Amino acid sequence: MKKCLEVFRITLGQYFAYRLNFILWRFRMILGLFIIYFLWQSVFEERESLFGYSKTQMLTYILLSSLISNFVLATRTVDVAGEILSGDIINYILKPISFFKYYLARDFTDKLLNIFFASIEILLIIILFKPPVFFQNNVSVYALFIIFIFLGTLISFFVNLSLSFIGFWSNEIWAPRFIYFILIFFLSGTYFPLDILPKPIYYFLLLTPFPYFYYLATKIYLQGISHNLFVGVLISLIWVYLSYNLAKFLWQKGLKSYSFFGR
Amino acid sequence: MKSIIRNFKIFFLFSKFSLKSISQARLGIIFFMFGKILRFLMFFLFVFFLVSKTKILKGYNVNQAIFFYLTFNIIDTTTQLLFREVYRFRPLVVSGQLDTVLIKPFHPFLRILLGGVDFLDLLMLIPYLLLTLFFAFKIGSISTINLLFYFSLLINALIIATAFHVFVLALGTMTTEVDHTIMIYRDLISLGRFPMEIYQEPIRGIFTFIVPVGIMMSFPSKALFGLLSPPLILFSFLLSFILLTASMKLWALAIKKYQSWGG
Repeated sequence: MKKCLEVFRITLGQYFAYRLNFILWRFRMILGLFIIYFLWQSVFEERESLFGYSKTQMLTYILLSSLISNFVLATRTVDVAGEILSGDIINYILKPISFFKYYLARDFTDKLLNIFFASIEILLIIILFKPPVFFQNNVSVYALFIIFIFLGTLISFFVNLSLSFIGFWSNEIWAPRFIYFILIFFLSGTYFPLDILPKPIYYFLLLTPFPYFYYLATKIYLQGISHNLFVGVLISLIWVYLSYNLAKFLWQKGLKSYSFFGR
Repeated sequence: MKSIIRNFKIFFLFSKFSLKSISQARLGIIFFMFGKILRFLMFFLFVFFLVSKTKILKGYNVNQAIFFYLTFNIIDTTTQLLFREVYRFRPLVVSGQLDTVLIKPFHPFLRILLGGVDFLDLLMLIPYLLLTLFFAFKIGSISTINLLFYFSLLINALIIATAFHVFVLALGTMTTEVDHTIMIYRDLISLGRFPMEIYQEPIRGIFTFIVPVGIMMSFPSKALFGLLSPPLILFSFLLSFILLTASMKLWALAIKKYQSWGG
């Protein structure tokens, strides 16, 4: 734990050293949110409800899912692939800390910083544009909401690590990640709540890991607890298990086949 | 005339090198092409699905909304097709290799701006053009003068895009910061995927006239639909001229101040 805290402190220091990078990154995130937010706001200007969502529910969905995505998807594991290719990964293997724990601590710093700034940005959007926002009064909903965010974070972490481990076998590390980002964008519910899709597509998507990143957590916040949500918890637990084992398998296989000269 | 032919020869030579270098990573080509097609299709289906349901988006019907999206794709893809090399400018600056470009007996833009034609984008451009033609026919009743305005404003958008890229090169030469600037440019122009009317003031005003995303992405389609007044069309041409001139001046200043980085 002490080691993880130290990694957290160092990563935080690195962010403060490269402040401009982080500010520009946040600026890019706001621009992305603007597109989605204003699109749905203009759709709801001429109607009260659409796809079973009221204006309040839809705008809350967009703002809240954006906020959660800033936590769940924020990651430093993207760097791992480059470190494998450059040989820098050797430095981490020699460290007296588990590689997974090391990156989990780094990711946690990234997530905290991103959610802190995203909260301020979304608060500013609420103050400036005054969208109707839904507040959930049922406290027990928050417990399940946090469980889903936690599970989504774990799935995202292990999937991201697995994608980076491709670097053990191939130089083509960006193309798979590019596809992954596109899939997240559409299949995780960034642009719209997934349940507005035709039912067969929606049910099929629930079998994939994407809705568990932030769609289900946001849906629970908006619509409360229903009995079939426990199926969601079960499937997301299965995805945590599968993604963890995939990352572990790739890491062990990758290390066995890895060699590097010149360091 | 002789120098134009010479510059074209150099441009084609660099393009040939670029094609050879792209074809070295065949797996990457497949993944990136798949990703680009996926991204286009998903956005296309989303716009189609949403506006078909709402019938109208800020006064535009589904065919018009899709036409906006297709025009955005044509401008964005042509820009990336031509100016891909800008994305690789930073390593050139920080390693000091820019010096070797500057001493060559041709304009450096042939290498650092146009020297990396992206043939994947050329492939993507073909379906975009065909689809745009298809939806233009579906919209119907387009006058010759509006068609002429559409093409002029497309060229105008490419001039503004050129100015943006020259700004990025100048800024990169002066500060070595390229990656975030170019990605911010990409995120800014993404706002033009949808008609600018969806954005609330002052966001709309800022992103139409100050950061001229609206002039680049929305104005061509609006001119085709006959919704753009002649003064605004004239203003667009004037602005692109001012931006291009300003970017060239900044580049000249950057080169004057440049003392070589890295090495």
